[in-house]
Amino acid sequence: MNKPFVTTSSSGVSSPSRTVTIVQASLHKRYRAEKRFRLLGLSAVICGLAFLAFMFVDIISKGYTAFLQTMVLVDIDVDPGEVHVGNLDQADYQGLVKKSLEKLFPEVTGRQEKRELYALVSSGAGTVVRQRVLEDTSMIGKTIALWVPANDDVDMVVKGHVERNLPESERRLGDRTLGWIEALESQGRITTRWNKTFFKSGDSREPELAGILGATAGSFYTILVTLVLSFPIGVAAALYLEEFAPKNRWTDLIEVNINNLAAVPSIVFGLLGLAVFLSFFGLPRSSPLVGGLVLTLMTLPTIIIAGRASLQAVPPSIRDAALSVGASRMQAVFHHVLPLALPGMLTGTIIGMGRALGETAPLLMVGMVAFIVDIPRGFTDPATVLPVQIYLWADSAERAFVEKTSAAILVLLAFLIAMNAAAVYLRNRFERRW
Amino acid sequence: MDAFVSAKSLKGPGKPTQGDRSVAGLENKSGMESQGLGGKTVGDVHVADPRMTCRHVNVFYGDKQAIRDVSIDIGRNEVLAMIGPSGCGKSTFLRCLNRMNDTIEGCRVTGTITLDGQDIYDPSLDVVLLRAQVGMVFQKPNPFPKSIYENVAYGPKIHGLAQSRDELDEIVETSLRKAGLWEEVKDRLQQSGTGLSGGQQQRLCIARAIAVNPEVILMDEPCSALDPIATGRIEDLIHELREQYSIVIVTHSMQQAARVSQRTAFFHMGDLIEVGPTDRIFTRPRHKLTEDYITGRFG
Amino acid sequence: MKRFFYAMTALCILAAAQAPVNASARDYIYIVGSSTVYPFSTTVAEQFGKAYGFKTPKVESTGTGGGFKLFCAGVGVEHPDISNASRAIKKSELETCAQNGVKEIVEVKIGFDGIVLANSKKAPVMQLSRKDIFMALASEIPDPKGGAGMVKNPFKTWKDVNPALPDVKIEVLGPPPTSGTRDAFLELAMEEGALEIASLKDLKKTDEKAFKKVAHSIREDGAWIDAGENDNLIVQKLLTNPNAVGVFGFSFLDQNTDKIQGAAVNGTTPTFETIAAQKYPLSRPLFFYVKKAHVGSIPGIPEFVKEFTEDKAWGPQGYLADKGLIPLPDAERASVRDAARAMKLLSMP
Ligand SMILES: Nc1ncnc2c1ncn2[C@@H]1O[C@H](COP(=O)(O)OP(=O)(O)OP(=O)(O)O)[C@@H](O)[C@H]1O
Ligand SMILES: [Mg+2]
Repeated sequence: MNKPFVTTSSSGVSSPSRTVTIVQASLHKRYRAEKRFRLLGLSAVICGLAFLAFMFVDIISKGYTAFLQTMVLVDIDVDPGEVHVGNLDQADYQGLVKKSLEKLFPEVTGRQEKRELYALVSSGAGTVVRQRVLEDTSMIGKTIALWVPANDDVDMVVKGHVERNLPESERRLGDRTLGWIEALESQGRITTRWNKTFFKSGDSREPELAGILGATAGSFYTILVTLVLSFPIGVAAALYLEEFAPKNRWTDLIEVNINNLAAVPSIVFGLLGLAVFLSFFGLPRSSPLVGGLVLTLMTLPTIIIAGRASLQAVPPSIRDAALSVGASRMQAVFHHVLPLALPGMLTGTIIGMGRALGETAPLLMVGMVAFIVDIPRGFTDPATVLPVQIYLWADSAERAFVEKTSAAILVLLAFLIAMNAAAVYLRNRFERRW
Repeated sequence: MDAFVSAKSLKGPGKPTQGDRSVAGLENKSGMESQGLGGKTVGDVHVADPRMTCRHVNVFYGDKQAIRDVSIDIGRNEVLAMIGPSGCGKSTFLRCLNRMNDTIEGCRVTGTITLDGQDIYDPSLDVVLLRAQVGMVFQKPNPFPKSIYENVAYGPKIHGLAQSRDELDEIVETSLRKAGLWEEVKDRLQQSGTGLSGGQQQRLCIARAIAVNPEVILMDEPCSALDPIATGRIEDLIHELREQYSIVIVTHSMQQAARVSQRTAFFHMGDLIEVGPTDRIFTRPRHKLTEDYITGRFG
Repeated sequence: MKRFFYAMTALCILAAAQAPVNASARDYIYIVGSSTVYPFSTTVAEQFGKAYGFKTPKVESTGTGGGFKLFCAGVGVEHPDISNASRAIKKSELETCAQNGVKEIVEVKIGFDGIVLANSKKAPVMQLSRKDIFMALASEIPDPKGGAGMVKNPFKTWKDVNPALPDVKIEVLGPPPTSGTRDAFLELAMEEGALEIASLKDLKKTDEKAFKKVAHSIREDGAWIDAGENDNLIVQKLLTNPNAVGVFGFSFLDQNTDKIQGAAVNGTTPTFETIAAQKYPLSRPLFFYVKKAHVGSIPGIPEFVKEFTEDKAWGPQGYLADKGLIPLPDAERASVRDAARAMKLLSMP
């Protein structure tokens, strides 16, 4: 036991000098293998980064213009005959905008021509005027110069997404309209501005009025429900299975099932949610509550698996240490094991949340793929979520929705990046070494 | 919680067990038998007024038997050293004494172990209470990844041993002092226990164990990572602790066993080969295996 | 860590307090159905929300069949009030409705949708007949060499189908079988094209089922490519491949006239005017159906119908025309409007 280990010449170990020559001969080969492997790894990383960069460049180049909106400067006569204290809410503000356009181009007289002229500005232009007047009623009777959003077709032309020198038959906007746009541009009455509407409003059929606030709020409520349910349940389930449950056939069965559930296509959870939450419990369709419940079902297996893995990663010596000073099993788990496993569990949870945030298929089944204009104010209001909004816009015919789609993707990506950054931060913040 | 601890099998004293199988081929040098227990251990396993008694203890890891029919007493105010070649079951046996084997899946313990006359494997006995009475220092240092203070204060805190913050501070300080660590860490009690050196960590674990003021302390090679000075300090501590506690220490160092213990038990392949007063074991071993081991003629 | 747990617990309680709100009241109109009608329905919904001070209706795009399934499931707040359809309701669907207590249904025909075959502007305009379409895309056709019976479609290029057509490979990007546009294409183009062939016309008289099977089987050898539900994607693919032809709704052609052009079918090019005048052969009517039992309990349904049937919405100069809806002829529009506003019921089977 405490004798030194003696190598005898008969044991087959060669003399030191031979070892050196043999090792030296193989060294070159070993290093080459290592170098090859490193190169392979590096090129894999570069390849991945290149795809990522390509995707980002593509989306950003398509989407950044959606953050800008073409505006038209109009001089609005707030006619006291049209607008007075009695009808501030209902007055025909769009009519005021139309009149101001007519004043800009007095030569326009025909009915069809006038229609085309009115189409220069968005049907939401009146809302802008209304807001301005409501803010300051002393405007009644005065003329105000106001920037109002241009129609989406005009927006596309001004942003250069539609070529102006195509033959008229091949454009949506006629020569007449183009002439007006050029006239307005030469008067400095057209500009592009930061698109506040995009961040402040819900969905709309008019691209220039459409925004992502509704979908963002919907995503927020949905993910909140998912987080609030799936994190405690997932952690509790992982803790029970890993630390307390007896290891027998039943727990094996449960484990196999959980692992299987993690691989089930997400639409299945949507069908389950439709059958259970909508049909059986009668919860409101299209609501973040039901969406969150469905996504909870979907993310639970992920969280439980991540949770169990991080519990397993806690060295058993920590449990022994706690038990040996007389901690109960529960105390050992909650005082020592769980705090060590929590960073891993949080990472798993946030990755699960990231997946839930990008999910559309199961939500289709519970009616969250819908046109919803009003911004949801609670867990039971009808709502949609960001990826669904992207899907709906991508499927719209209007050309201006192409850039909105890319912009919404950018916003979703920003959320995902923020969540993953939070995961990294939490992990580094709470991670302890042993 | 303790569902996988099997029912103990009580065997009457003197009843023959697998003893003959386990000593097959081994020559009983002096021919002296232990008095009636299992019939294989050389030397007297009894002490007068024992704190703990172990009778016919068998431990299985699944189908593999790690401890075979071991019977031994642990006296009051005594240090019992356990020696034996690596893998002979010393740690396994030690872990039976505070039921830490409960946590190992597939581990089964049979036989009777009592503490102050009370069967510790009795279902009515609370394992938390047992572990508060029988502390343990592990072979590998395992401080909590928390502050040094928290490490020592944890036991007293969960048992509610301190009435006030000051009292707790005092327990922490005396425990660290006893473990010979106070001077080194008194200025950084709030730093992580895992940031200490291996030897310091081991002393921290000792401080943690004695902070709950147990009756019996089990030490599994507490000095394997320590330099001679720290070792000396731990040995002094063991001397000091003996006045109040019973101590069981596993060691690979004959010198240490000779220095700190009153009785020594020699294990071999899961069998308890020989027990006796330490000076006798080291001067006049009766069993051939014991002699071979302590003289270094082994393997 | 502890604080984190307290925060989580607080959130749990908060969410739990929110949860038991039941669905007993609904103060917005709930619309389901066809994805073709979806853009029109949502536009009206938005205008209606702005103009009448009701909440904006919720419009789910479920497809025509899926819409009727939900619509006919019963009467009550959890069931939709209106279902959009790119075809008239089927007898079987009416029966399901009746079984579930949905006995009062108002049908509103809102206009037409054209199905176009379009290609990139870089290529010449195609001049197709419905027979050409059938011969190019059916998986089995009567033997072109004059033999009796059916053969697997042997044609590789459009010129093989009809010598007047260009000598390019047949490559048609179209909607998948789940789409309503696909159903309409099969019915309006393929079936009618098959009827222009004498032997198949006879087959229809003798064995309707066998005829349907022939007319509705699309080639699976690569000449027809299922391009997914997203029509924008088809438009983009056409730009990169000038030889390809795409099949989709008229509104996508209308929005992309700078890039793509519609093929003339039986000598008529798809334009707003030709479809409105019902000269362009591949056009279909669009509808929505109202559950009359919900009028009164769900606020705003009559107003929504009124908004939809206003000339400023569905008229030739209306805002739906801007979205690509092709309006009904004036007289029909007037009669449908009056019937709809009077909530005239559909006769049940
Ligand atoms: N958890 C376990 N599962 C299965 N077998 C085990 C387990 N722990 C220990 N053993 C086996 O039991 C026997 C005794 O192990 P034990 O750890 O008690 O030895 P030891 O005497 O403490 O050795 P050392 O001096 O090296 O620490 C060994 O053969 C070992 O392989
Ligand atoms: Mg050991």
